[in-house]
Amino acid sequence: MEALLREYLPILIFLGLAFGLVCAMLGGSYLIARQNPNSEKLSPFECGFAPFDDARGQFDVRFYLVAILFIIFDLEVAFLFPWAVALGDIGLFGFWSMMLFLGVLTVGFIYEWRKGALEWE
Amino acid sequence: MDLAIKLIVFLPLVAAAIAGLFCRVIGARPAQVVTCAALLIAAALSVFVFVKIGFGTEKLFVVKLFSWIDSGTLDISWALRVDTLTAVMLIVVTGVSSMVHIYSIGYMEEDPSIPRFMAYLSLFTFFMLMLVTADNLVQLFFGWEGVGLASYLLIGFWYDKPSANAAAMKAFIVNRVGDFGFALGIFAVWMLSGSVGFEEIFGKAPQMAQMRIQFLGMDLPALETACLLLFVGAMGKSAQLGLHTWLPDAMEGPTPVSALIHAATMVTAGVFMVCRLSPLFELAPTASMVVTLVGAATAFFAATVGLTQFDIKRVVAYSTCSQLGYMFFACGVGGYSAAMFHLTTHAFFKALLFLGSGSVIHCLHHEQDMRLMGGVREKAPQTFILMWVGTLALSGIGIPFILGNGLGFAGFYSKDIMLEAAFGVHTTVGMIAFWLGVIAAFMTAFYSTRLMFMTFYGKYRGDHHTWDHAHESPIVMMIPLYVLGIGAAFSGLVGYDWFVGHDWKAFWGNSLAVKATEEVLHHAHEVPLWVKLLPLVLALSGIALSYYYYVVRTDLPDRTIKAFPRLHALFYNKWYFDELYDAVFVKPSLALGRFFWKKGDAATIDGLGPDNVAARAQDMAGMLMRFQSGYLYHYAFVMLVGVAGLVTYFMLSAR
Amino acid sequence: MIVGLENWALARPELFLAAATALLLIYGVVRGEIATAFVSVATAVALLVTAALLFLPYREGTAFASLFIADRLTATMKALVLVGSAVAILMSRAYFEQAKAWRFEYPLVVALATLGMMLMISANDLMALYVGLELQSLALYVIAAFQRDSVRSTEAGVKYFVLGSVASGMLLFGSSLIYGFCGGTAFVQISGALADGRSAEIGVIIGLVFVVAGLAFKVSAVPFHMWTPDVYEGAPTPVTALFAVAPKIAAMSLLVSVLMGPFKPLFAQWQQIIVVASVFSMALGAFAALRQQNIKRLMAYSSIGNVGYVLLGVASGTEKGIQAVVFYLAIYMVMTLGVFATILMMKRRNIMVEEVSDLAGLARSQPMMAFGMLIFMFSLAGIPPLAGFWGKLYIFMAAVEAKLFVPAGLGVLASVVASYYYLRIVKVMYFDEPAEAIDRPSFGVNRVVALVAAFLIAIFSLVPQPLSLIAEAAAKGLFQ
Repeated sequence: MEALLREYLPILIFLGLAFGLVCAMLGGSYLIARQNPNSEKLSPFECGFAPFDDARGQFDVRFYLVAILFIIFDLEVAFLFPWAVALGDIGLFGFWSMMLFLGVLTVGFIYEWRKGALEWE
Repeated sequence: MDLAIKLIVFLPLVAAAIAGLFCRVIGARPAQVVTCAALLIAAALSVFVFVKIGFGTEKLFVVKLFSWIDSGTLDISWALRVDTLTAVMLIVVTGVSSMVHIYSIGYMEEDPSIPRFMAYLSLFTFFMLMLVTADNLVQLFFGWEGVGLASYLLIGFWYDKPSANAAAMKAFIVNRVGDFGFALGIFAVWMLSGSVGFEEIFGKAPQMAQMRIQFLGMDLPALETACLLLFVGAMGKSAQLGLHTWLPDAMEGPTPVSALIHAATMVTAGVFMVCRLSPLFELAPTASMVVTLVGAATAFFAATVGLTQFDIKRVVAYSTCSQLGYMFFACGVGGYSAAMFHLTTHAFFKALLFLGSGSVIHCLHHEQDMRLMGGVREKAPQTFILMWVGTLALSGIGIPFILGNGLGFAGFYSKDIMLEAAFGVHTTVGMIAFWLGVIAAFMTAFYSTRLMFMTFYGKYRGDHHTWDHAHESPIVMMIPLYVLGIGAAFSGLVGYDWFVGHDWKAFWGNSLAVKATEEVLHHAHEVPLWVKLLPLVLALSGIALSYYYYVVRTDLPDRTIKAFPRLHALFYNKWYFDELYDAVFVKPSLALGRFFWKKGDAATIDGLGPDNVAARAQDMAGMLMRFQSGYLYHYAFVMLVGVAGLVTYFMLSAR
Repeated sequence: MIVGLENWALARPELFLAAATALLLIYGVVRGEIATAFVSVATAVALLVTAALLFLPYREGTAFASLFIADRLTATMKALVLVGSAVAILMSRAYFEQAKAWRFEYPLVVALATLGMMLMISANDLMALYVGLELQSLALYVIAAFQRDSVRSTEAGVKYFVLGSVASGMLLFGSSLIYGFCGGTAFVQISGALADGRSAEIGVIIGLVFVVAGLAFKVSAVPFHMWTPDVYEGAPTPVTALFAVAPKIAAMSLLVSVLMGPFKPLFAQWQQIIVVASVFSMALGAFAALRQQNIKRLMAYSSIGNVGYVLLGVASGTEKGIQAVVFYLAIYMVMTLGVFATILMMKRRNIMVEEVSDLAGLARSQPMMAFGMLIFMFSLAGIPPLAGFWGKLYIFMAAVEAKLFVPAGLGVLASVVASYYYLRIVKVMYFDEPAEAIDRPSFGVNRVVALVAAFLIAIFSLVPQPLSLIAEAAAKGLFQ
């Protein structure tokens, strides 16, 4: 039991750090900055629409399209980092695996590009 | 010889198959040609066989075809047994049948289903030949049922007429009663003798006469019981009193059918059967007594009804019924050869009468009511003469004391010998039969000439359109009439010595019960003179009275009816047999049937069984459809319930 | 040789299909909508080539560190799935052209779904199983809603997606439980651990229940069937045809390999689950369809019922049972494709109709079509000597030999009830007065499919032995 818990200790520390950091940043801004809210400032920024609204309200599906396309490549990058670090150990198999993965994503990319999913209008 | 016998029996079957199965391909004319040709060949061969057996020394031919049933001690073969009795029947059946076939070409020419009709006729002939050539009781029964079937099909030939369908069903159902008795009789014979073959049965007849049967606590003489049961079958087929009701209704069929089946052949099957089994009946005096009484009563009863009917075919039908009664009482008193003699002559003159009536009907555009006829002799002179031949033969008219046996029409010989036989046995039953028969002979002469006078004499009483188009029948219908007319005129004269005269032993051989026949014929020839003359005198007076009533004083019939209204109503309504049966059997069975149908089958079995199950299945479907609400959360919920249920089950069962 | 890639050639068919799909996708998107006809045919050809690659040459063994397995059973099942998908693609053109949804993506998504099914069938590890299953499911969610401008189609897609996610969740939850109790996700590890005596642990059994529930959703066995009628009815008809065939076969194959493989030691437990699901599926398939008017919905219930019979074969757990399963699935596929090809031919004044009553008097207006439908319906009802009868016979025989007397008896009763609605269609076609005649079907793929299916049914009816030998060989693969 002890050993098991000890294995999860780094995660606990990570959680604590994340919590502490967020608290520090929000608390700092609250304490130090000048508070002068108005309705424009309190409205959601950039991507979209009011968080508390009628569920049947219309919204622009293009936000989602972009977001989903972004996530695919975001994940690709998330895979690329550990792959790059471990490339020395995993050898050619590892290299070609990632190439295949990138190839598949590229096919998808070509598709969405040609389909015009990347154009806003 | 074997080949000839086989051809006689199977040619009609082949013709029926060709006409019936390929009728759409070959059309009406070839069907007529094929069936008529087959029947004519069969008739010619029958004459050959008849001569060979009747006047030869070899009296019995048995043609084995193949084994039919061989189970345990029951061993039945298909075999064609031809002795004199069968040969006589072969002549009658193929002769009348071929004439009827030819006649039908003319009579049915406007009918749309000629091939079917011809096929049925030939099929009937095949079954009838099967019946008369049977070598055992089971084969006899096969033919028996076969002719019943053909009769059913032909009575209901015009199946778009409800009355024809009803008559066909009536004939079939009434015959079931008789056939039930017949089947029981066969069982009884098999039980007693261990065999159904005629040879074996006759061999064991003396032992069987000693046996007794225990049934429901009753101790019955075995042979008497068996014979009575068999006679019930004969009563059904030959329309004897009690089971006669189908025969008049059977006149719904086309007239050639009435001539062939309901006059000449099928209805005589009962008489044939009793004669065939004469070695048994001879040893069963009580059963024979019953046969005599039933026959005599039928002869009398049917004659009374015949007096009052107006439908030309019905008159002849009741006359047939009556004549069959004669044959039975002749059998009952032991005069088997006399019965067979009358059977043969009757086949000719009754077929002639029917076909002649058919000719009249044809002439008057399918009018059958005699009240709407009259004076037809102008339009159909040949038919008129031939009908007179038939009528005189039926009435038994002749000149006694010349040419040894007298000179007369066929019925003169055969009817007289039957009455003499009945008188000759000198028993009470015989006397009853004799007197009933004599009275019936008077009535026979009266109603048959009444038919003649109402039809052919006087003024025409129908509508003029029909009268203008009335015409003598075509030649193809007249030829059979002539042939039968010759038979009606001379068959008695020619056959007398062979059938019942001094050559009878050489002729019949062993095909009839020898001892009884010998005794009866001997006594019959010894009766007093007045017995021999009485039928003739009465017949002549019947004709005279009829002439007086229907030609001279045409108002008399109505006055007679007014004088005896009750009696007339009784006769006119056929002694209320139909009404009685309707009330006693038909209505209760229909009610019972309806009860079982509505309450038993529909309400109980269907209601609780198929219908109920189906209804519950539909309910289930409805319930399951309500479950399928279309809401996602319902669906997810069902899935979760399923998983939860399974997990719970395993949690509980694991403990 | 690179480590981990030994035996990669076992996956040649899958690799070929993936590559072909990718290339066709690029081709299609470059050429635009005009390439649709070509892409459609090419995809079908690619699927059939893939099926050929399974057997030319035939190989068996495991690959990718035992994530992937190939044997007679998987090869047979994959061949069925591939043929079914190819035919479904070919059948779709007329419908989608009518619906103005004739896009080149459709065949490619079907191909991807088929790829997922192949991976499912060959899965030898819970992880591989899940990846294959999800590839298949995601592609299927898309094509259920493929007719985007139809409310019913999108509704079908959403329902399928949401409920499918629930099922996937259950499957994953069950997998994690099993992983937790058995210490591995590979089928070999699981069966090893269970054979060591962990079979009694309730956790494993609960895991099993969840895994089976997830798979039962895919084969639409009761009580995880609720999506089926709505999705079948709502989805475009060619998609319904595909749904009724390919995923069913793939998921059933997966169910067989999971239950007969890693969970063999838990036979006593899972047999109970499968028997219950089987009996309820048979009953529901029989009763619920009695009053259906929509023929697609009716076929949905029919498929639930048929799954019940197949599950009965699975529940027997014997080689005979698996043989019967393969045999039944093959015949079921042919019958179902035939029926849907006929449904796709049902047009009146050039508008698709799909009510049972629309078939009224079909025997008079289109006797050939009616006769084909009659063969399919009689076969589905299991009337001897048609192929469907043999299928049911093998199933029931296997069940009886496995001493599953009561379920087999109930199955027979259910098939009696079910024959009512199959025969009702025949009755409507042959004895009802036609309201308005169905259009004469133009000569096309659907007609060929219907004809070939009817012909195959006739062949299987007269000589079921060859198919039964194939099924036998496939079943042997599992028991080696």
